[in-house]
Amino acid sequence: MVRDYNNRHALDQKLRGTPKPAHVDHLEVGHWQAIATVLAHAGLDAAVQRALSSTPDLSLRYCGPGEWLVVSQVDTPVGLMRRLDMLCGTQAHVIDQSDGRVLLRLSGPSARQILAKGIGVDLHPAAFALGGSTNVLCGHIAINLSRTGEDIFELIVSRSFAESLFEDLMTMGRPFDLSAAFSE
Amino acid sequence: MASLITCPHCGVRPKEEFTIRGDASLVRPAPSASDEAWHDYVYVRANPRGRTVEHWHHVAGCRRFLVVERDTVTHEVYSVVDGATAAREAQR
Amino acid sequence: MSAYRLSSGGLVDRSKVLSFTFDGRPLRGLAGDTLASALLANDQLLVGRSFKYHRPRGIVSAGPSEPNALVTLGSGARSDPNTKATVAELYAGLTAKSQNRWPSLGFDVGAVNGLLSPFLGAGFYYKTFMWPRQLWEKLYEPVIRRAAGLGRAVLERDPESYEKTWAFCDLLVVGGGPAGLMAALTAGRAGLRVILADEDFRLGGSLLSETETIDGSPAPAFAERVVAELLSLDNVTLLSRTTVFGWYDDNVFGAVERVQKHVAEPSAKLPTERVWRIAAKRALLATGAEERPLVFGGNDRPGVMMAGAVSTYAERYGVSAGKSVAIFTSGSSGYRTARGLAAKGVTVSAVVDSRAEASDAAPDGVRVIRSGAIVDTKGRQRLSGIVVERSGFEELIACDALGMSGGWSPVIHLACQRGARPVWSEDLKAFSAPDVGNGLRVVGSANGVYTLGGCLRDGAEKATAIAAELGFNAAAAQLPVTEPETDPSFAALWYVPGAKSKAFVDFQNDVHAKDLGLALREGFGHVEHAKRYTTSGMATDQGKLSNINAVGILAGMRGVSPAAVGTTTFRPFYTPVSFGALAGTSRDGHATPTRKSPLHEWAKKHGATFVDSGLWFRSAWFPRAGEKTWRESVDREVLNVRANVGLCDVSTLGKIEVFGADAAEFLNRLYCNALLKLPVGKARYGLMLREDGFVFDDGTVSRLAEDHFFVTTTTAMAGAVMSHMDYCAQVLWPDLKVRFCSVSDQWAQMAIAGPKARDVLQQLIDEDISEAVFPFLAARSMVLRGGIHARLFRISFSGELAFELAVPAGYGEAVAEQIMEAGRAHGICAYGVEALNVLRLEKGLLTHAEFDGRVTPDDAGLGRMFSAQKPDFIGKHLSARYGLTAADRMQLVGLKPVDKDKDMRAGAHLLKEGMKPSTLNDQGWISSTGYSPVLGQHIALAFLKSGRERYGEKIVVWDKLRDHEVVAEVCDPVFVDPENKKLKA
Repeated sequence: MVRDYNNRHALDQKLRGTPKPAHVDHLEVGHWQAIATVLAHAGLDAAVQRALSSTPDLSLRYCGPGEWLVVSQVDTPVGLMRRLDMLCGTQAHVIDQSDGRVLLRLSGPSARQILAKGIGVDLHPAAFALGGSTNVLCGHIAINLSRTGEDIFELIVSRSFAESLFEDLMTMGRPFDLSAAFSE
Repeated sequence: MASLITCPHCGVRPKEEFTIRGDASLVRPAPSASDEAWHDYVYVRANPRGRTVEHWHHVAGCRRFLVVERDTVTHEVYSVVDGATAAREAQR
Repeated sequence: MSAYRLSSGGLVDRSKVLSFTFDGRPLRGLAGDTLASALLANDQLLVGRSFKYHRPRGIVSAGPSEPNALVTLGSGARSDPNTKATVAELYAGLTAKSQNRWPSLGFDVGAVNGLLSPFLGAGFYYKTFMWPRQLWEKLYEPVIRRAAGLGRAVLERDPESYEKTWAFCDLLVVGGGPAGLMAALTAGRAGLRVILADEDFRLGGSLLSETETIDGSPAPAFAERVVAELLSLDNVTLLSRTTVFGWYDDNVFGAVERVQKHVAEPSAKLPTERVWRIAAKRALLATGAEERPLVFGGNDRPGVMMAGAVSTYAERYGVSAGKSVAIFTSGSSGYRTARGLAAKGVTVSAVVDSRAEASDAAPDGVRVIRSGAIVDTKGRQRLSGIVVERSGFEELIACDALGMSGGWSPVIHLACQRGARPVWSEDLKAFSAPDVGNGLRVVGSANGVYTLGGCLRDGAEKATAIAAELGFNAAAAQLPVTEPETDPSFAALWYVPGAKSKAFVDFQNDVHAKDLGLALREGFGHVEHAKRYTTSGMATDQGKLSNINAVGILAGMRGVSPAAVGTTTFRPFYTPVSFGALAGTSRDGHATPTRKSPLHEWAKKHGATFVDSGLWFRSAWFPRAGEKTWRESVDREVLNVRANVGLCDVSTLGKIEVFGADAAEFLNRLYCNALLKLPVGKARYGLMLREDGFVFDDGTVSRLAEDHFFVTTTTAMAGAVMSHMDYCAQVLWPDLKVRFCSVSDQWAQMAIAGPKARDVLQQLIDEDISEAVFPFLAARSMVLRGGIHARLFRISFSGELAFELAVPAGYGEAVAEQIMEAGRAHGICAYGVEALNVLRLEKGLLTHAEFDGRVTPDDAGLGRMFSAQKPDFIGKHLSARYGLTAADRMQLVGLKPVDKDKDMRAGAHLLKEGMKPSTLNDQGWISSTGYSPVLGQHIALAFLKSGRERYGEKIVVWDKLRDHEVVAEVCDPVFVDPENKKLKA
């Protein structure tokens, strides 16, 4: 018995159906990307960070001392694991989280105002600069937040919380007509 | 209590991101230590007025245990350092 | 008619007429009105009844300190009790109702209390209703609550929506009057991130009722220019309709914005109210000053108002409080009101000045009575005249409104909310703000600066200083030009002697001067005691008008300075805030987040009934057509697993990957059983203790490589175990080379249990998983046909031949479906947590129903897991304590009712037959019960004193709470397959 298994996205139920046009403030949900946790061996934080940040196509998200989430839009989960093992396998432990994390991209002129309703961190560009990332509480849910553009933020959330976070974000964005869809 | 804690790893954060475990001055006794020492470690806590050190777990952030030195009367926070750093220093 | 709309003037839009109702009466106001100004314009002076005596009361103030004009706005579920008419913005379609009156505002039966007032003095309730004690709850309190009290809360569901938000700034300015606007402008121009919050719907504060000019133009025009410039600055946020209600640690402020309180039909997109948490590097309190009422006989007659309020109604709203207005003042402010009224053509009947001498000028032709005192007022439901006493002579002066001014008190509440006490200032004859450091400074008239020019300068200077502190370059502010003015002075006058009728100190709580005397005589002279004893300064206004006079009167009676009396404690909230606003969006389904399993859609497809389990939504059972009760479904699922095979979602278990050279050592110290020598490819059951020796959590530990483990926890304790591990790794043993992270969400995990489990699973896997190759407790990664990377564990929570299969979460649904398909020929069924519970119960396997924090490994029959040989692990030392090793500890046993048809309930206690229920006779308790379809009867797991020696004994199961009692036989807790033949098949 051999078959192709379908991978169901955690927000499948929420976003299924014909895509609607995106509004200025838009929540885009990454359908396919590979995400891994990287845990540096003791004393090797800086070496691992160097190895990872010098690699194109990999986006590094800081979680805590010696811990990152690495996001790739080009690799498969297995491919990313292989790449990371080669890059830093002797300096760090690498754990696949592609199925355990959901990535949401909030963009638009009101993005900061929307996030301020859930996040108690100053998101002014002077305080949270482009390229910055951190673990943070959004409402009741712990997420990883990064600024990938002036008005673009990416939120990575644990899969089981994804529906709740999605609903929260849509409520927070209601005054701004926030729209949502899977990315193309 | 403080409204904001400056995490050495994550920056200024609201208190909702933390859970407080309590007295950070305790040192776990050796396995062979006396029953009294173990009893004190597990059960006996002071309720200090003024300066105190506590373990705050940045559970929604970097998940590090921080040693927060603060004043229970004025609520002023004097310092926040990583718990492992503090523990290593204490063991020295 | 006496109060009326002036023919011109004010900041109201005379072209926009708004219709509203008050107690059902249709009335008209203008855009820019408050409800209070619109009521006054309609000569509706009487707006409520007082708390205790039900005396008629009228509008007193023009702001948030209002004690009397409390109304219920709206109707049905949308009604808002205790809304101050003086701050409620008028809108078309507003409906307002007066409160605390029956049957009507004009005729109130409760007013009979006024006749009884000699018996209703301070402390009356405490004295009269003391005895008999049991009547307090049943009779006295309900009756008093009905008679007294203000508006009524509605019991319907609140249809409004609310939200909360964070904000960060360099400078928060609280208050948008002259000082606040000037400060915001100075800081905004310097580039600071500024937030200016003001409770009014229009920014400007006192500028809006100011008669003087600034830079040659009217003050309101100046305010408008400043606001326009502030709006043009990207770094400035203006929040009108926003009350800053609290000052918290680390300079965090709480504020509530009334986003849609002023519209008849709120938009579904917007919240009704929004709570702001503002973290400010610096803050300026520009909250102004409060005018003090005068305590004289009959001072609560409708028509008696604050002089400043009379001015505000005239200047800002174009409404005169009366046709003939008298002024009673102890300082220059009263004269200012008189001049303003006269300029608008309103008759000023007299200015009564308590002082013997004053340089203040009354308008031409207005009579000034110096050294005068009002000792009584006339009129029924509104003022018709005042009785003025001077040099022993009394005179009746006709008037239909009276403006009173007893001087000014800075509004300093926020500065005193974090423990610092107000400081008495002899200069200001008022309590002023304490020095609370650089974070919060007081500016303008809140700082005791009472001239317009002074306020503008103070605002500019303090903002410039703050800009410099924060590293900004503030240009030297160009101060606007104001008219020459004299510093307004006043004499402190706490009580006007010679009162001919009640002289009220606190209008809202009906406290008059004599009540304070009584409190003092009865030993309640301390300001905090007097407040509770007399109720002065309680309820919705918290004594914003009354407190200072109460303190002054107490000081006078005690013969000390007000400094010695002090003030009551200032706490958040400055003004009342609705619960809805504080809850924000955290309500209903969003009070907490909901976690969904990756197999949720699969379970739904198979008809699962779901149950809340912590944050999780878990499948409880899978009813089939024809099954009428949940028990039928659960019994079928259990029997099918025992006979064939079943699939259960166990994805909610906590899953943690542990890595590192010291990973084995770390786990060995964390669990009470030995793990160092766990072979690669094997799983082991693990038991974690707390440091006090009791069981903390259980789960499995699998070794995937020499330095790589996969650990599971129970669903309930997943978070707690992870935090415990963080603590142990970081604080207890920071030098162990170990790292770990949660993968709970990465894996969909399913149990496939039953004699045919292997036959089903083998169809998905190429590798041999036979007993010989993949025996009990085998654990390793493998690839499913089709290329899915999976992990397979030969573990069982049912006593059956069982596997747990973990696949990447997104594939969980597809793989589960494939297993169901592969199992169809074997009679597979989906089973939920209820059947899971029965299966484990029949095998005497334990959950947190047993591990309730009072149970040691030995109590639970797991003493063999406790590795005394290990040098150290969490909980080892204290496990050896006497109490934890005593022979008569309660031990895990099974129970079966002697009468097979009887059931048992968890929580029931155990007693020897014939013994009375008592703590002393308590033999134990039941932790879990369920119906075993295999045994055909109810079974239970219980903890019983020395239980393992008592198999066969009959014991009474006693459950008084549910009035249930049966006799049961004590037995081995393993009810099914005690030899584990099926497990290792």
